[in-house]
Amino acid sequence: MSNVNISNLKGIVGDANVVDTSSEMAKFLKGQGQPAVVVLPGNTSEVSEIVKLANEQNVKLAVGGTVVDTEGLTGGIAMVMSRMNKMIELDHANLVAVVEPGLLHKDFLLNVAEVGLNFPPEPYEVETSSIGGCFAIGDADSKSFEYGPTRTFLLGFEMVLPTGEIMEIGNKCIKNVAGYDFIHLTVGGQGTFGIFTKLIVKLLPAPEAKLAVLGTFSSLRKANDVFHTLIQQNVLPTRMNLLNAALVPKAIPGTEGQLVLIDLQGYKASGTNFAQKVASLLSVGGATNVKIIEDEAEYNQVIDGWLNVRSELNAKPDSVLEFTIGAMKMPQALAQLEVLLGGLENYPGVVVEGLLGHVLLALPEGTNKRALAVDVNKLAMSFGGNVRGLLGNNLKSEVYNDAEMWNQTIGLIQGLRQKFDPKGILNPGVSLQA
Amino acid sequence: MLSQTVINRLKEILGEKNVVTDQVGLFAYGYDATLLAGQALGIVFPQTTEQVVEVVKYMNEQNIKLIPRGAGTNLSGGTIPTENSVIVGFGRMTKIHEIDTENFVAVVEPGTVNFDLQLELGKKGFYYPPDPASYKASTMGGNLGECSGGPRCFKYGVTRDYILGLEVVLPNGQVIETGGRDFLSESGYDLTRLIVGSEGTLGFITKIMVRVLPKPVTTRTMLAIYNTIEEASLTVAAIVSAGIVPTTLELMDNLLINTSEDACHAGLPRDAGALLIIEIDGEPEDMDQQVQVIDEITKKAGARDFKVATTAAEVDQLWLARRVAIGSVARVKPSYSLQDITVPRSTFPAAVTEVLKIAKDFNLLIGILAHAGDGNFHPLVIFDQRDEDEVKRVHAAELEICKMALGLGGTITGEHGIGLLKKKYLDLQFKPVEVDAFKKIKDTFDPKNLFNPGKILNI
Repeated sequence: MSNVNISNLKGIVGDANVVDTSSEMAKFLKGQGQPAVVVLPGNTSEVSEIVKLANEQNVKLAVGGTVVDTEGLTGGIAMVMSRMNKMIELDHANLVAVVEPGLLHKDFLLNVAEVGLNFPPEPYEVETSSIGGCFAIGDADSKSFEYGPTRTFLLGFEMVLPTGEIMEIGNKCIKNVAGYDFIHLTVGGQGTFGIFTKLIVKLLPAPEAKLAVLGTFSSLRKANDVFHTLIQQNVLPTRMNLLNAALVPKAIPGTEGQLVLIDLQGYKASGTNFAQKVASLLSVGGATNVKIIEDEAEYNQVIDGWLNVRSELNAKPDSVLEFTIGAMKMPQALAQLEVLLGGLENYPGVVVEGLLGHVLLALPEGTNKRALAVDVNKLAMSFGGNVRGLLGNNLKSEVYNDAEMWNQTIGLIQGLRQKFDPKGILNPGVSLQA
Repeated sequence: MLSQTVINRLKEILGEKNVVTDQVGLFAYGYDATLLAGQALGIVFPQTTEQVVEVVKYMNEQNIKLIPRGAGTNLSGGTIPTENSVIVGFGRMTKIHEIDTENFVAVVEPGTVNFDLQLELGKKGFYYPPDPASYKASTMGGNLGECSGGPRCFKYGVTRDYILGLEVVLPNGQVIETGGRDFLSESGYDLTRLIVGSEGTLGFITKIMVRVLPKPVTTRTMLAIYNTIEEASLTVAAIVSAGIVPTTLELMDNLLINTSEDACHAGLPRDAGALLIIEIDGEPEDMDQQVQVIDEITKKAGARDFKVATTAAEVDQLWLARRVAIGSVARVKPSYSLQDITVPRSTFPAAVTEVLKIAKDFNLLIGILAHAGDGNFHPLVIFDQRDEDEVKRVHAAELEICKMALGLGGTITGEHGIGLLKKKYLDLQFKPVEVDAFKKIKDTFDPKNLFNPGKILNI
């Protein structure tokens, strides 16, 4: 199993940064795979050397920020980026950060906030997510309606390709159309195009004010009806989320019912007016415990509560099913979903990101996800949407009976991956099948 | 020349009037907004995705290459016919399939003119933010091909940020759908982003799902006038540092103020060194405080005058003056070369100084027009195409401007694309490892180099 030349690795990064006893390795690993060794590079050229070594010895290599998913590794190398965690530059005049990938997302947010700037994407997992992982996953979150999804914040990077070559692309400019958009192609690529070693990240000025409005409902659909009214009245907050009763205590302990969380980021004058309007619409819509939160500490607590729920759901992707439809089609969609699943209030988990028309379901234990996805996708398609991502595309082509289109799409995706990683070395656990 | 058999087959697929092979037609579709020209074997105008598929499959068999074209307003030579090629004109695929403002989505065909979409959206109080200067004529397909920008990008982002999903005909004649009607439908890799800005070299777009937004409730348009362009350039970073993100921050220098005045008499001060048109949008109750901060910053940077437009007519006048600036230089000399570099915002003053120096070094007239907020410069090199020596100096200056942008940490193209025009400069910006990555992408989509050959890269 130990197919990796460990002394060579030690030669590259030093003895202290190679871990090969299984008890020590465990804290860097998750999943069922069995890498032969964990290595922690300290700079770009070390990353490149390690990848070249993996190529020479034809062993697989998986990468993570603080923890590596070992899926697909039998032997091989788990590379942890946590030593490469420097904020290289915080450039206020250009609203840009240059950062190493191993910096924790939560620490990056602190650094950025300290200088009065804003990085909107939310950590995928609050405690362990790194900034490199943030762009490798390339998520959209409930603030994306206002700020754009994660990819819009990547301006360029340095990357070690699967062959060990070092690529540099992009700059501090938000307008740059030279060559193909490889920059954004890599976002969401889950590390299959290469290993980020430096990221050029776009930032925004911090909003002048942040306010939250909360309210609880006995019925999930009634709560969602308020979202419908808000959009109709052209009140488009920064975040407009709904959590069902099963999830609420994890966000705000001691709270009961279905929770509406409205987040308003922007100027103080309009924010205050919007908060009043939202609060009164919530009350009219049947909410109890309607509350406007202006206090910064309390606001942060509420948002952290939401992030914890999000983290928990992200941690078990196999038992979460997501779909997206037009935001204003949500009332009918939830009615049909209730027919399919039963009462949504008592379901193990329902999140509605109202502005995105995005629904996230935490499935009951033992659910056959694929089978349910077929039904949910049909439901979503009848509202012009689909189950999220590759799975949704696959299911859609099944409905259309269009295997050819699916084969073309998957052929392109796998063709790209194969061209960049001809030996299939990098992140073998990432499946681009559905 | 196309053989009669090929012409007949194309007419069978597309109908008689959608196939053009006469000399006048070939000439008319042989150029774009650059000085480059070429000649295709023919031009075809499909009206459906199925027709595009048929044409692509048939041309594949015939080993004839295909050049996509919208309105031909591009500034990169992207639609110039090269090699043994037929032009696929998308100008007759102009349907707006759907406008669903409730769900912030519109679905259009690639030949839809940007402005026509804006008109339809405007009826419902909505808009599509990307607004390249050519938006009254340029098509959505073309805007996507080049990943166009425009003055509003500083706050709202560029074309790629508004494209949710696509239907694409691949070089092998197969159709794929990428993305969807939201941010979350992308399949595995973000193929939508890859297609946008690929200048028609990877696939032909036949349907576009775009994100649309409600029009801002309030807009304020301001004008700051400076004695020197250096003072104007210092204002830019200061506004951003104050935490304000204007929708637009447009800069015009003395030369362009004057040519623009000659053309449209908007009342701009002819003796000013430069001016900035600054626009903010948002909620009415947030406007005054931002205007006040901007006023203070411009004064501190040395502005001799600061005005807030109070009527819609005043706003229109200002934008008219800005929009005619490029064409108006024709009064000075018959030709111009519109450069398109971007530099980091903080280096904007340095870039201004460099452009002035280049103008002097090469004895050329160069006007400066810039989307200053995002560091996107359009130095406008004014010359006479018939003066061979001057043309040589223009090309030399172009190279220097590109080098200058890269030296300041910028790019050789901010929103116009590489096409044919800047292909020779690609190696200045990219090392072989990056160019090689581009080639891998092209090879995955188009191994036979059938779509828009010779653009962006030499294969």
